[in-house]
Amino acid sequence: MSDKDETPDNGLRRELPKEVAAEVAAEVAAEAAAPTGAAPEESPQLTGRQRLAKGLWPPRVTRAQLIVAVLLFGLGFGLAVQVASNSDSDSALRGARQEDLVRILDELDDRTQRLEDEKQGLETQRDELENSSDQAEEARKQTVEKEKQLGILAGTVAAQGPGITMTIGDTKGTVEADMLLDAIQELRAAGAEAIQVNGVRVVAGTYLADSDKTVSVDGNKINAPYRFKVIGKPQDLEPALNIPGGVVQTLEKEQATVTVEQSDKIVVDALRAAKRPDYARSSSQ
Amino acid sequence: MIAVLGLVVGVVAGLLVRPEVPAVVEPYLPIAVVAALDAVFGGLRAMLDGIFDDKVFVVSFLSNVVVAALIVFLGDKLGVGAQLSTGVVVVLGIRIFSNAAAIRRHVFRA
Repeated sequence: MSDKDETPDNGLRRELPKEVAAEVAAEVAAEAAAPTGAAPEESPQLTGRQRLAKGLWPPRVTRAQLIVAVLLFGLGFGLAVQVASNSDSDSALRGARQEDLVRILDELDDRTQRLEDEKQGLETQRDELENSSDQAEEARKQTVEKEKQLGILAGTVAAQGPGITMTIGDTKGTVEADMLLDAIQELRAAGAEAIQVNGVRVVAGTYLADSDKTVSVDGNKINAPYRFKVIGKPQDLEPALNIPGGVVQTLEKEQATVTVEQSDKIVVDALRAAKRPDYARSSSQ
Repeated sequence: MIAVLGLVVGVVAGLLVRPEVPAVVEPYLPIAVVAALDAVFGGLRAMLDGIFDDKVFVVSFLSNVVVAALIVFLGDKLGVGAQLSTGVVVVLGIRIFSNAAAIRRHVFRA
């Protein structure tokens, strides 16, 4: 097949596109008329390459060249426009067909849905975390508050507030531990919240005992005068001590002197180390 | 030479002007461009064969473009637009290749 290129009238003709077949007829007509185009001027001896070179150089303004130039201008224009509009990122969807667009839209919808779900999940998680951190913060606050309250009871923190000071003078050495214990019981019954005796904090486990002429509180010997610092409602505490047959009268019967003073600000600052119980365990867990 | 200049000027103008393609023409422009390319290759081959005629070239160019656009239009209306335009591109591609082969034989003698 390759050796037959040069001659126009060969088997190749059958494969030619339609315009080539039509061109033969047109050529006949063109030859009948005045030979204006480039092709009819050529002698049949010229090869295709020579014809191409002739057409290209020197440039000649012929009707054929002009018409072809106009058409090629249109082609180039269309080509450039199409390429430009295709390479624009925003109009990448422009050339797409309807079914493609529908598919793309569906995919986008799916994707949006997925992302929306994910977003919702994450927001829920965030809310939960915020709530739980809020709750943790609240619990921590309550714990601190409770620790303070329990610390006052257990004597691990200092306390201050209104209350009374009771001083028991015992020049004769007649005051015994049970009298002090009665006084403490009476104070507690009257709503005392924090008590210290001569620098010893009185807590739940406090015991009092006699030890030759003096009294020991939790093993600490204390000497007269016994000074009670009590936080509570002064209007309750003082009458509780002064009731007939009460603590004050009993002590005065034993030749001891008792003075009770109300005060707006009593500071109970004797502390006691927090002690972990050896045997008792909380049964609530 | 002037024809080649026309092509170059067209490409440059298209790139510089960058006109908005009307929505009506949009689906047909690519196919029309391919059809026009086919006509151009056919014309080039005819020139190399020495049987080029400008009238034939004009008619084949325009009819190629119109028929290609028409086929795509019809395909769109029938609901087989994608397949038909693929078919058109395949046919035109085959023709372009066979024309290019003929041109190659002329130019490179191989």
